[in-house]
Amino acid sequence: MSGPAASTSTSRVGGWRREVAFVLLVVAVSACSRERGAGTDSAAVTVAGTRIAAPHAGAAGEWRLPAGDYASSRYSELDQVTPANAKNLHAAWTFSTGVLRGHEGQPLVVDNTMYLVTPYPNVSYALDLTKEGQPLRWKVRPENSQVAVGIACCDVVNRGAAFDNGKIFYNLLDGHTVAIDVASGNLLWRTKMADMSRGETMTMAPIVAKGKVIVGSSGGEMGVRGWIAALDENTGKEVWRAYNIGPDADIKVGTRFKPFYGVADTSKNQGATSWSGDTWKTGGAAVWGWLSYDPELNLIYHGTSNPGPWNGRQRPGDNKWSAAIIARDLDSGEMVWAFQPTPHDVWDYDAVNENILVDLPVNGKTRKALVHFDRNGFAYTMDRGTGEVLLAKPYVPMNWSTGVDLKTGRPVIAAGKATDQGAKVTNICPSLEGGKNQQPAAFSPVTGLFYVPTNNLCMDFEARDVTYVAGTPYIGGSAPEVAGPGGYRGEFIAWDATTGRKVWGIKEPFPVWGGALATKGGVVFYGTLDGWFKAVDAHNGTLLWKFKVGSGVVGNPIAYTGPDGKEYVAVYSGIGGDMGLLIAGDVAANLPYDVRTRGSTLPDLARWTSWGGMLFVFSL
Amino acid sequence: MIPRTLRFGLLLGTAGIVGALADQGITRISRAQEATRPSVQLPATSSGAQDFAERFVVHPEHLRPGGMPPRGVVLRNPYAGNASAIATGAKLFISYNCADCHGADGSGAMGPSLADGRWHFGGEPGEIFESIYQGRPEGMPAWGALISPDQIWMLAAYVKSLETNANPTTENFTGEAEARMGH
Repeated sequence: MSGPAASTSTSRVGGWRREVAFVLLVVAVSACSRERGAGTDSAAVTVAGTRIAAPHAGAAGEWRLPAGDYASSRYSELDQVTPANAKNLHAAWTFSTGVLRGHEGQPLVVDNTMYLVTPYPNVSYALDLTKEGQPLRWKVRPENSQVAVGIACCDVVNRGAAFDNGKIFYNLLDGHTVAIDVASGNLLWRTKMADMSRGETMTMAPIVAKGKVIVGSSGGEMGVRGWIAALDENTGKEVWRAYNIGPDADIKVGTRFKPFYGVADTSKNQGATSWSGDTWKTGGAAVWGWLSYDPELNLIYHGTSNPGPWNGRQRPGDNKWSAAIIARDLDSGEMVWAFQPTPHDVWDYDAVNENILVDLPVNGKTRKALVHFDRNGFAYTMDRGTGEVLLAKPYVPMNWSTGVDLKTGRPVIAAGKATDQGAKVTNICPSLEGGKNQQPAAFSPVTGLFYVPTNNLCMDFEARDVTYVAGTPYIGGSAPEVAGPGGYRGEFIAWDATTGRKVWGIKEPFPVWGGALATKGGVVFYGTLDGWFKAVDAHNGTLLWKFKVGSGVVGNPIAYTGPDGKEYVAVYSGIGGDMGLLIAGDVAANLPYDVRTRGSTLPDLARWTSWGGMLFVFSL
Repeated sequence: MIPRTLRFGLLLGTAGIVGALADQGITRISRAQEATRPSVQLPATSSGAQDFAERFVVHPEHLRPGGMPPRGVVLRNPYAGNASAIATGAKLFISYNCADCHGADGSGAMGPSLADGRWHFGGEPGEIFESIYQGRPEGMPAWGALISPDQIWMLAAYVKSLETNANPTTENFTGEAEARMGH
């Protein structure tokens, strides 16, 4: 009997030129590999011209930041697990978080202690890795209003904590940021940052740099006015807060602001004038995704969500700076540049996906690049100093746009694919879940490739008029989804951002909603909605090993070194998030009062998984 | 939204609201079968009420009191089965953004399904009225200050009209599900 099975295939994208690029890459990598035995310098085995923009945080065997480093690379320098021995991986130990619902995010490991944060009610645990059975050092259950459960749009997820100076920092669903002293487990401070009465909740993972904890809120579907803020890591006091829409003063646009596109337009307050009337006040642009930081440029990079409501008729204009990638000064929050992958978004294409900061050779020149796989289906290779788009190529099947005009940075919209009030626009690809969503990609300097978990879904979109009622959804549209071209609904791909080409792909029956981990050993890890945790060869995508975990994976693997000196790989299992809660709808078994019928997007998922909440740890 | 003090008042529990409804002659409305608006009095947020609210631990079972609602009054929806009121309720369901939480046709999204014949806080007309009027834990807003009782009854009539045969106890994964995979 055959079930849904993943299949490896080479790409249809790129044709012979991709093959040539791949061969050149393999040659380059094997040339480098020969040097591996000669020394321990990790730079010796990287592809020429590539460099992750910030070093791994802490020792190589630790994981202190959500993505392991400020660059959002999700690359680990651990190399004990290799394509040759990955088949010997096995479950070393597990831990139940005691919470069901979507386990997006990842644990941290610092100084032989592992830190976990659960979905709502956002309990945190410190596990002592030096003792058999990993006993708790402490457990923290912060006050967290139950009201938040019904205000979060897309399940009650939490995407993890960040560590700095003996403290961990994370967000509570009810809009507070907390700091915990890791030595004692004491709550050091708890600051209210988001306002639930305006539809704001908090799910994103903070980063902390130069003593500042950077956070943002969710609520792009609730008519919020999105912002990003910095708190003092010692006091919990707000240092700065910048809105993403509204007048220049509010969004911190001043003399340093130089967008690469549209520089001729120097009119003031574009964050308000690119909207009709006061619509910017409920215009979304929430910062619910991942943050990056370049210590050399002292710039923070973040995305903003879709503009609200989805119905574009209610907000004519470019809607700056919703659906945008924004660079801000860490110290002041000042906007330095901004770029909208999807100006006047009418497809729910948030631009919140992670911005991976890597130096790359593009067109024969090493560029300080930012690589971003947008919901809109284009992979952008940009200059992270200026916001210039160097390359923008589709990384998933798409039909809503025929390409990005590099002179303006704007997508060219395909005929008949712009949604509109009162019209049913059919077969738009990718769907509103995007070519990729929150599931973060990884980069390996060993191969020079990006490893990207993707979705392959299309939608029919009907926009309608909607009234703003504070604290309730402000959506104005519906968008049923189906599998995209080819019938598979997700693919785990390797992407060359210097050329904009897919190198290999592993087709999956379901959207790949969990993140990626790349390791120096040449093995890449990811998990699937139907509950497989997989190790694949970074060079060619060959499946090396897989293990069926308790519940679907929407979390992100990390690697760490145990007190025994061994390499471990850890990942949450626990289906949920937008995909698990809203789309599958029927995977929950613990809600006797809610037996909703199966969603049309993943009607078959409930056969393969159910809710859970477990950490799985693997080793050789 | 709704002032916090008012919310405390709303959270004071079923008994207060049922009592208030009874005082307003709700049973007379159900006899009359007409669109009379029961004017519901909120418990005053006096200092005494505040003290009570602070002592009151809000668990779902307190809001639907242990599955044993107070005896002595049965609320009937003046619009039960009234097709034109149900049609209006369906429109209100969209215009008050109910649909964006509970899904199109109440099929379930951010909030639970209202079309599966199962009820977290009770499916009797009065219980549905209370759920809308006073809100429920886990994010159901208290709409009593924004939506007239008359319209709440129409919404309740619409929601009850969704309760069809969709109450599955078994999901069978042989055959069809596999055939739908397409790969």
